[in-house]
Amino acid sequence: MASDQDERFMQGIADVDLTASEPAPARLKARVYSALLQRQVETGPLASLTESHRCGHELCVFEQLVRISPVGETAKSLNICRVCHARVLAESMENAPIFWNGCPYVEFKNS
Amino acid sequence: MHSLGQQAPGEPQAPAPQAVEDSALVAAVLGKDRKATAEFISRYADAVYGYVRARLAPRHDQVEDLVQEVFLSAWESLSRYRGTGSLEAWVMGIARHKVEDHYRERLRAAEPINDGDQGSALPAVQPAVHQLLEEDQVRKKTWQVLASLPEQYRLALVWRYWEGASARDMALKTGKTEKAIERLLARARTEFRGRWNHGQ
Repeated sequence: MASDQDERFMQGIADVDLTASEPAPARLKARVYSALLQRQVETGPLASLTESHRCGHELCVFEQLVRISPVGETAKSLNICRVCHARVLAESMENAPIFWNGCPYVEFKNS
Repeated sequence: MHSLGQQAPGEPQAPAPQAVEDSALVAAVLGKDRKATAEFISRYADAVYGYVRARLAPRHDQVEDLVQEVFLSAWESLSRYRGTGSLEAWVMGIARHKVEDHYRERLRAAEPINDGDQGSALPAVQPAVHQLLEEDQVRKKTWQVLASLPEQYRLALVWRYWEGASARDMALKTGKTEKAIERLLARARTEFRGRWNHGQ
């Protein structure tokens, strides 16, 4: 019967893994990161840059400046990537011309 | 005495290094550490993207939105991650749910396709597809044939055969009857096999 044959045929084909091995575009990772930080900020401040630094994470040059500035922890908990040109570039271009260390948008490009 | 790496009976089992690493990452992301959040995305974005892209093909325009939804949803429910399985498996579980939601919405809204008489005489099934073609070729051809099908046929087939959903489950989730889903699957299978055998 044709329908049984169709069923067997599909079951044979379905053994093939369809998942693509293509990596996610850096632009997409950048966009997801920005959206996730934005969502985190909606329920309160981010962990401060002092805390991130203490945990051994590398900060970017702008984050370092904020961290060593004589400002309170509240200011160091702001999502400063939101006003950074690196974010805008990384979300729009696959190979954004940003090259400094410690920037997650650069990491996405290199991963 | 027991040698290193062996567990004595009754001795509490130490968590695997991956589990410790996963738990640490989860705690840091929940603590809103931005660098941990970046690492979370770096670790799993490729796997989520590959999976979603495969399941939504050829509608690549919807892939990026869905990938983003997966991560936002993961963040919303991350506090419920208990570490009983790997974090990757947990994230991929969310991706599967999101893909299923997509199928459900698309199939629920779909108009029936009138493609005439079914069960027309097709060449006999090729019994061992994998013996005739290399796996890569089969994958490529499967992609091509799926992409050429009407959307509801494609979604129904992928949902049923690659996601392993039963017709009953699909019916419940789309608000259609099981019979209607079985008819849809039957038409989709016939169409798929016809296009496969006839080079689309």
